Amino acid sequence: MASWEEVKRLAADFQKVQLSSTTQRLSERNCIEIVSWLIDRKLIDLIFTSDGKEYMTSSQLVQDILGELYIRGGRVNYVELSKTIGVDLSHITNHVPEVTRGRKDIYSILGQLIDTSYIIKIAGEINQKLIQQGQINIGDLTIQYDLPADFLQRNVVEKYLGKLIHGEQDKCDPKIFFTESFISRSRAKIRGALMALTKPTVVSVILNQIEVTDKLFFSLFDQLSTYGFLTGRTTSAQYVPNVYSRSQNEWVQNFFKQNGYLEFDALIRLGITDYKGYLKKHFANENVVTLKSSIISFQLIERIEADLEECISSKSFVDLQSSLPNLLDDEDIKIIIDKVVTGQRQRNIVILDNFLISKAFIDIMAKDCEGFLQDKVRDVVKSGSYQQYLTDLQVRTTKSSKCDDEEVKVDKREERRKKAASGKSGGGAQGRETKTKSTKKPTRIKNIQDDSDDYFEKTEKKVVLEVISASDVQKLIESKVEEEGLGEILESIVNYLLQVLNESGLEAAAKLYETTIADQTASRRHTHNDVQNKVNALLGDVRLFEKGLKCFPIEVQTHLYKYLLKTICLDIVNEILNYVASEKGLNVEAEKLTNEQRTKFINDLTPDYKNVLQNLLKTLSNQSVEEFTAAVEICLTECSMILKKIDKKKDKLVISNHKHALLEQLDKCDDSALTLHLASLIIFVTVTQNMLHASGRHVSSILTYLKQYLGADQFSELSSYHDLVTIMLNGGSEAESAKDQLKERMPSIKKIANEFKKSVSDKS
Amino acid sequence: MVDEGTRKTLSGIPLLQTKAGPRDKELWIQRLKEEYQSLIKYVQNNKEADNDWFRLESNKEGTRWFGKCWYIHDLLKYEFEVEFDIPVTYPHTAPEIALPELDGKTAKMYRGGKICLSDHFKPLWGRNVPKFGLSHAMALGLGPWLAVEVPDLISKGIITYKEKEPEKAT
Repeated sequence: MASWEEVKRLAADFQKVQLSSTTQRLSERNCIEIVSWLIDRKLIDLIFTSDGKEYMTSSQLVQDILGELYIRGGRVNYVELSKTIGVDLSHITNHVPEVTRGRKDIYSILGQLIDTSYIIKIAGEINQKLIQQGQINIGDLTIQYDLPADFLQRNVVEKYLGKLIHGEQDKCDPKIFFTESFISRSRAKIRGALMALTKPTVVSVILNQIEVTDKLFFSLFDQLSTYGFLTGRTTSAQYVPNVYSRSQNEWVQNFFKQNGYLEFDALIRLGITDYKGYLKKHFANENVVTLKSSIISFQLIERIEADLEECISSKSFVDLQSSLPNLLDDEDIKIIIDKVVTGQRQRNIVILDNFLISKAFIDIMAKDCEGFLQDKVRDVVKSGSYQQYLTDLQVRTTKSSKCDDEEVKVDKREERRKKAASGKSGGGAQGRETKTKSTKKPTRIKNIQDDSDDYFEKTEKKVVLEVISASDVQKLIESKVEEEGLGEILESIVNYLLQVLNESGLEAAAKLYETTIADQTASRRHTHNDVQNKVNALLGDVRLFEKGLKCFPIEVQTHLYKYLLKTICLDIVNEILNYVASEKGLNVEAEKLTNEQRTKFINDLTPDYKNVLQNLLKTLSNQSVEEFTAAVEICLTECSMILKKIDKKKDKLVISNHKHALLEQLDKCDDSALTLHLASLIIFVTVTQNMLHASGRHVSSILTYLKQYLGADQFSELSSYHDLVTIMLNGGSEAESAKDQLKERMPSIKKIANEFKKSVSDKS
Repeated sequence: MVDEGTRKTLSGIPLLQTKAGPRDKELWIQRLKEEYQSLIKYVQNNKEADNDWFRLESNKEGTRWFGKCWYIHDLLKYEFEVEFDIPVTYPHTAPEIALPELDGKTAKMYRGGKICLSDHFKPLWGRNVPKFGLSHAMALGLGPWLAVEVPDLISKGIITYKEKEPEKAT
């Protein structure tokens, strides 16, 4: 049982091991107990490490911190310290004052410890950077080094400025440092930019281009201000180069000197926005005239004045548009015109659009129209439209004077009508209106005004009488105007002339009217008499003609009667119709009426006239002169005219007058057929001492009648002439030769007529 | 699994090789020898570390073990009787260590004062058959149990300090 023995031995060993005393070693647990007891008793001052397994003394901590600071190159964070040393952060913060105490080269900033070596290092870096960039901002450094600006400023940069950091502090901004070379570089840059610029540029654009800060730019600009000037001290200000302003001034001066004017728009285009101030400054000594959109030199004005004088003296015109710079608009030209055309000139100049036209020129033109105008005036007066115009004028004046009286009447009537109307419509606003007087009155007054206004307008429109129309004037002067090259203002000339012409036309018309009215009133008063006399005379003629015509055989007589009725008797009828028409206020020219129109006209008349006139008209188509004269008599009594008694003593006088008239006609006549006609008539009158009214067709019968009184040669001469006339009138192949022969023989026929007269008169 | 200290302690205990229970005559002797050697080493280690915390002895066959263990809390030493039998199926089954004094005083205990071991213990033991022996059972089982339960019981006032100090301290 060796093994059991062994077990027993082992059990004994086990007991022995268990009973042996434990090693006298201070276990970790005991150590902790002891140390904590000591700390409790404040016998020692220890600091626990963060894992709780170690202690350290304060001086060790301070030493550790300093060591760590050195290892980290002079700058260390508390948090990092607490981590690397393995101590709670609070211990670090508690001991930092101990560390910095008595050490001026160590700073505690923002939870960090920094010593001089680090500061010297960054000072070196800053210097490097400054040399590189030329300029350095504390703000940028703050970001880069994560240190407060104050600290950097005071303890780093300013402290080592001139020692480690070679640069200058900006006087305006202590946060900025720069090197001398940087300044000169920037200055050079700015100078380059400023010199290169030839036109105004916004400062910010310049700054972008040359990459210089605005502050620097503005501080350096003052040294470089010989190149130009700034409009302000902000980046949005403009830099205006002197070169630019000089050339601008030169341009402006040259332009003004050359052209004599200066447009505001042009100035604005050049960049001079405050052109008024600019002009005031630069043209203070110049004699200029300021217009709406430009200024012009006084010379230009003088030139125009000279032009004007010349225009007046030469009786022509001036086109301001062409003699002035063409950019001036109408308003400007108007200003110039106002300036130039003054006093004496105003009387000699007519302004049309942009043309200055001498009055003389216009007068010439007006004279051209004068003849036409006179015609027109006559027409106007004759046609009675002038009369109409006058009456309108009168009506208006009388109306206006009467208006006040009439208004009330009209109003009352109107009101009544309105009342009736509103009464019918019943109810509603209108109905109430009629009840309330206060509201009614104003409306009534308004109505009056409206009515009268309308009325005046109408009348005023009517009263204008155009003696001569625009198109007429235009036609008259067109060629002349075009010739002068004034085509473009033709219309205005026409309008102007139209006014002038119309005025003078109206004057002329008035004058003419006065004279004619004198006639007419007289005639109107005497129309009656006139017509009476005329009709009487004509009737006398008819009687005499009838007498003469009775010398002829019956068949010839009927023809002659017919002719007589159709000519002179018709005249009588027309005369009567005219009279009737004028009595009725109708404007009818009976001479121009056809038979149908005449009957129609008569049918339109009042019955008393109508009947007698119809009768009269009927007698015309008959062949009896007696019937006609009877009808005329009735008519005349209807028109309250008297038919004079036949005065036979006067017959002779009438006949001789008639003969003389015929002779005169013959003298002037050079138509072969008419010559023969007149000659035969004259011979008839001299032979029979009776008047004869016959047409050319009756010449042959007259000649056969006269045969007995004429010498054989005279008769043969006349008859052969007559034959030739008929040949000519019939036309055909011999017409031409007949015409020649007739021309040759015309004097002899005239001679026969004249001499026959003589011979007869000799005889008697 | 187990805390750093336990692991360190465990590594200091020599492992066993023989797989034998009390019924295995010759082999059990071999096993018992190894158990003793392991315990001796463990106690030696403890003493060196000034961490001695139990006394154990066994009957002649080595099937029943008894002794005492203690725990120092707030500089006071609390001592308890400890006993256990080697189960028949040992080493497949771990010994059930019992503290009869504390029977009924804590929930973490079976009838008869057998301590409830942590959930990890059994699988850990099972995996390490036959390498784990009594010393392991003490180190992994009773040691941690005491460290957890005793301060708890003291604070609850269930166990109080008994004035009686054998050797210890100095």
